[in-house]
Formats: sequence, structure tokens, C-alpha cells
Amino acid sequence: MLSRSYYWLVLALSIPAFLWLVPTIWMVSLSFQPNDVLARTTSSTFLGLVPIPFTVENYTALFAFGQTPMWFLNSIIVALGMTFGVLAVSTTAGYALARLNFPFKAPIAVLCLIGLMVPEQAVFIPLYTMFSDFGWHNSYHALILPRMAVPIGVFLMLQFFKAIPKDIEEAARLEGVSWIQIFWHIMLPLARPAMMTLAILTFLYAWNDYLWPLVSAQQRDYFTITLGLASIQSNFAQSEGLGRVMASGVIASLPVVILFLIFQRYVVQAMTAGGSKG
Amino acid sequence: MSNAKSPLQRLNETQSAYLLLLPFLLTYGLFLIYPFFRGVWISLHDWNLLQVAFNPDAKQFVGLDNYVRVMWGRNIEWSPWARPVLQVLGLLGVVASVALNRTRRLTSLTSVALGLAGAALFLISGVHAGEEGRWFDRRFWPTVGNTVLFVGLTVPGVTISALLIAAALNRETRAMSLLRTLFFLSQVLSVTVVTLIWQIMFSPRQGLIANITELAGGSPINWLTDERFAMAAIVIATIWWSLGIAMILFLAGLQDISKDLFEAGALDNCTGVRAFWHITLPNLKRTITLVIILQIILHFQVFGQSHLMTQGGPNDETQVLVRYIYQTAFRDSELGRASAMAVFLFVIMGAFSVVQFLVGREEND
Repeated sequence: MLSRSYYWLVLALSIPAFLWLVPTIWMVSLSFQPNDVLARTTSSTFLGLVPIPFTVENYTALFAFGQTPMWFLNSIIVALGMTFGVLAVSTTAGYALARLNFPFKAPIAVLCLIGLMVPEQAVFIPLYTMFSDFGWHNSYHALILPRMAVPIGVFLMLQFFKAIPKDIEEAARLEGVSWIQIFWHIMLPLARPAMMTLAILTFLYAWNDYLWPLVSAQQRDYFTITLGLASIQSNFAQSEGLGRVMASGVIASLPVVILFLIFQRYVVQAMTAGGSKG
Repeated sequence: MSNAKSPLQRLNETQSAYLLLLPFLLTYGLFLIYPFFRGVWISLHDWNLLQVAFNPDAKQFVGLDNYVRVMWGRNIEWSPWARPVLQVLGLLGVVASVALNRTRRLTSLTSVALGLAGAALFLISGVHAGEEGRWFDRRFWPTVGNTVLFVGLTVPGVTISALLIAAALNRETRAMSLLRTLFFLSQVLSVTVVTLIWQIMFSPRQGLIANITELAGGSPINWLTDERFAMAAIVIATIWWSLGIAMILFLAGLQDISKDLFEAGALDNCTGVRAFWHITLPNLKRTITLVIILQIILHFQVFGQSHLMTQGGPNDETQVLVRYIYQTAFRDSELGRASAMAVFLFVIMGAFSVVQFLVGREEND
């Protein structure tokens, strides 16, 4: 069924696809080579793309000393906190805007739509002064709260809830079930796929966020892994050795790459939705 | 569900709606709406970060002074041929928009956008400091120019390569989906991992690129510190990083093109490159427009690549707007001026968001 030209096409595309992967392979490969070798040359075997001579010392050193494990933990806390926060405010607000009638519904929806236009970079200075006034910098909630205010999640959930047929709800209303119960017992279970998409979108964003943590977390104890990696890469050659910095990079990428490989369909959906809407 | 009615269950529709909206509206108001207006308010003050931190009254209302100090200068003039290349390019854009609209190669909205962009380029690049004149802030407009250049190189680079790859990968087979995964993988990495990889890739002493050039007998280029190559370097890293999302959006667009069209085309001997040109491209026009606008919005906010790979250098060649805002605020402590620039950024992003919204709505009709 598949023609010969198809196999040629696959073969021809494998070359750019492999080239696309080379920088990542290189990072992984360097992270498994001894630092004293790397100080001499980075192209030991096949331009350094194969980790020979091989060592896991960079990883053991990373977990023995240094702050990488703590930064990793911080990232987990912040990313999970942000994910649950966004899910909580987005599902509730999305449901209300999609299914309920109430005064001032249209203006509120428009107000949320306008918020999609405000880029993070346009508000990070006033946010910084606000959080300074509250004395909130260098804390987990300072890293989590600003992102919960972004309306993209509300719109994702709104679109999902709108597509659910009305009759389920109406039958429940006739039985005397309250709106809150309908939301909690009927709508939320139905919304699981959409919530999954939103959760992954938020987790990826939180894990990779750079500008706001850079501004808000000044103490190294509150660095996320993304921020910590930035702080050690400016002087990587001298201080800790190239192999160890690369190992930090691999560790920093591991959760999002695993997430991507397991939930590929959701990640693609999430990024398509996030990309085309805001 | 219990029979005894809790207060939550007695709420009517309006009360339930507001209760459900409350958590979002609270965070939204407190951490987005209020900061936005506060940002505008800060931009109207002479506001030093450190002084105000010690003494809240140390700020001073200066009206629009910050905007003038950032964007204007002494003896600023406008002339039609101040920057011939850019201005001719702008005029060409206007001409192209009219011509393409006449021949119906573009929708009216797209041609209006192209025309406005061309006119803006023609007008804005004609502004320059006259004799004895100078800009109050010498770095601001060059920084904006660098940002536009970065966008102007990255967006076509990403769009064209993503389009070609998506068109080639548009088949539901296992090999194709594996290839898609490989192209998409770099998209999920964080900006600091991307800059880490490419900093060392580009390194003249240890980098993979230098190693290859040496094998080929050339002398390695000092990518990140050479004025001619620094911008190219961060553009390459960015294209590598952000190709995936554009590819996925194109693949989604390609799914919507009816298979019948390609089959009918195949009967007329229209396959391969010709099918791409005559069937794929015309049917993908709206998706392409959306992806381009999306990329412009995304890449205009570039920060990490410039901040980490080149520190804005060499000689400010890769200094971009968000990094300049960041530095003005947190290195120079000039919150007022930085906020004025942030408002400028918001206005530009807002304009593109409106276009995005309009194009997106046009698509749904």
C-alpha cells in the first residue's frame, strides 16, 4: 500500500530530524563524560555525541552537593501548586461563564477576554512592587499566584463546558440538584480530558517560566530549577565543570520530556490550544 | 448527595455563578488588572526602585515625562529618505498590499494589515535626530530595532521550515509520528536549557559547530561575541526551540484540507511540489496568517535567549526590548522609565492581539 516514494520520503526526513535532535543528544552525552576529559576536548568519540569515556560521576556529584536537588524540589512544588490553582479557578469560572445565566455576564466575559492581551512582560514591574509591599518575595506563593490570574484556562474550560449537551443539566435540575452539585458531581467528571490538557499546559509553563522567578526569587533557596540553571551557566567552564552543568540541564529537562513522551497527545493539544488562543 | 440542604445547595443561579467566579475574579483583579493599571500609574512617576522602597513618598508625579525621555529627543525631524532601505521596504509593502488585494491574492483584512505595517515602517523609520539634535535615550529605538530584526528573522525562519516539515509529515503512519515527535521534542525544553545547549554548541573552543568547522579545516567562528553573528546565533537557537508549535498548528490546518482535493489534483498530474504550491498553500492561508501573528507576539517578548546567551552584546547588537525593560527597572532602578517602555510593549502586543482576534474570527465564519 505504501509506495516506494514514501520510504524515500521517510529516509530523507530522517536526516533533518536527526540533526534536530543532535543538540539534545550532545547535552546528554556531555553529561556522561568526565570533567577532566571535557576540559581538554569535547569531541572524544564521534564529535562527542557518544559518551565514551563514560561516567555517572556528574550526576552523583549533583545530588551529593550543590543546590540542584533543592531547586528541583522547588520547581515541583511551584509547578504543582500552580497547576492545581489554575485548575481550581479555571474550572469554576469556566463553568459559570459557559452554563449559568447571571447579571453582568457579558461584561465579565469581555473583561476576561481583554486580559488575554496583557503580556506578562507588561505587568512584571508593578507585580514586583506589589509583592515587595506585601513582603511576599522569596516564597512559593509569590511564584504561584500571578500565573493563576491568566484567563487562558478559563477560556479553555468555557469552550469545553459549552459543548456539553444541555439535557444532562436540565434533568438534574428537575430532580432538585443544586448548581454547585451539578458542577461538582456531573460537570467536573465530564471535564477530565480538558482538565488534563489544561494541567499539562500549566505545568509546562510553570516549569519553564523564567522572567518572573528571576525577578521575584532573589534568594538561591527559592530558585526554581530553570532559574538555578540560568545562574550556573554563565560561568560553567570554570566553576563546576561542563559535565556537571550539562547534567543539571538534563535533570531540569527530565520531567517535561517524560511528561511529553507519556502524554504526547495532550501536550500537543495543550500547546495548540494555548498557542492559538493566547 | 445528602438530604439535609446545606447553605451551598440553597443558592440560586446568580449566587452560584458569582460564588464560582469569585476565586478567579479575585486573582485576576489582584494580579493582572490592578497591576496593569498600577504599571501605567508608575510610568507617570519619577520612581526610583531603591528610594521608594525605603521611603514610599520618594516618588514624584511627572506626567508623560518618562515617555518623552524614552522615546523622544531634541530636534527630532522627519524626512522621506532618512533610512532609504527601510522606507522603500515600507512603500513596497503598501504597494504590495494594494496590488495583492486588487488581484484577490489576499483577504481584505490581511492586505489592510500589510498596508498599515508598510505605512508605519515608512513613517517611523523616517524619524531621525536633526542637526545638533539627539535622542534623550540613545538605546531605546536601536533596542526596538533589534527586537524587530529578531522577529523579522525568526518568524519567517520558523514559519517556512515548519510549513515544509508539516507538509512532508502529513501522513498517519508510525514513522511519520515518530519523526514529528523528534521535531517537537525541543519545544518542551525551558529557555535556560535551550540557551545552555546552544551556548556550548556555539562556543569557539568547545562547541560542536567549532569542532565540525575544524574538522573541515576552517577556523571556528566566535558566534556569540562577534557582532556579525551574535543575532544569527540567537535566531538559530530560537528557530530550533520553537519550530514544534508552528509545525503542530500547520499539521492541524492540513488535517482540515479535504483529501478529495489532493486526489483530484493527482488526476491532473498535480503532485509533490506542485500540489504543495497549488493546493496546500492556498488552502492553508488563514492558518499561515494565524501562525505568523502568533509568532510575532511570542517572539517580540524574547528575553532569555538574549539575556543568557549574549547578555545583549556584543555592543548592544542583541539587546532586546524586554531585556532593556528588565535592566532599566532592576539594574538602573528606574521603574518609571521601565514602566513607560512596558506600556509601549503592551500597546504593540495589544495591536497584534486585536489582529489575531479578528483573523481568528474571520476563520470561524
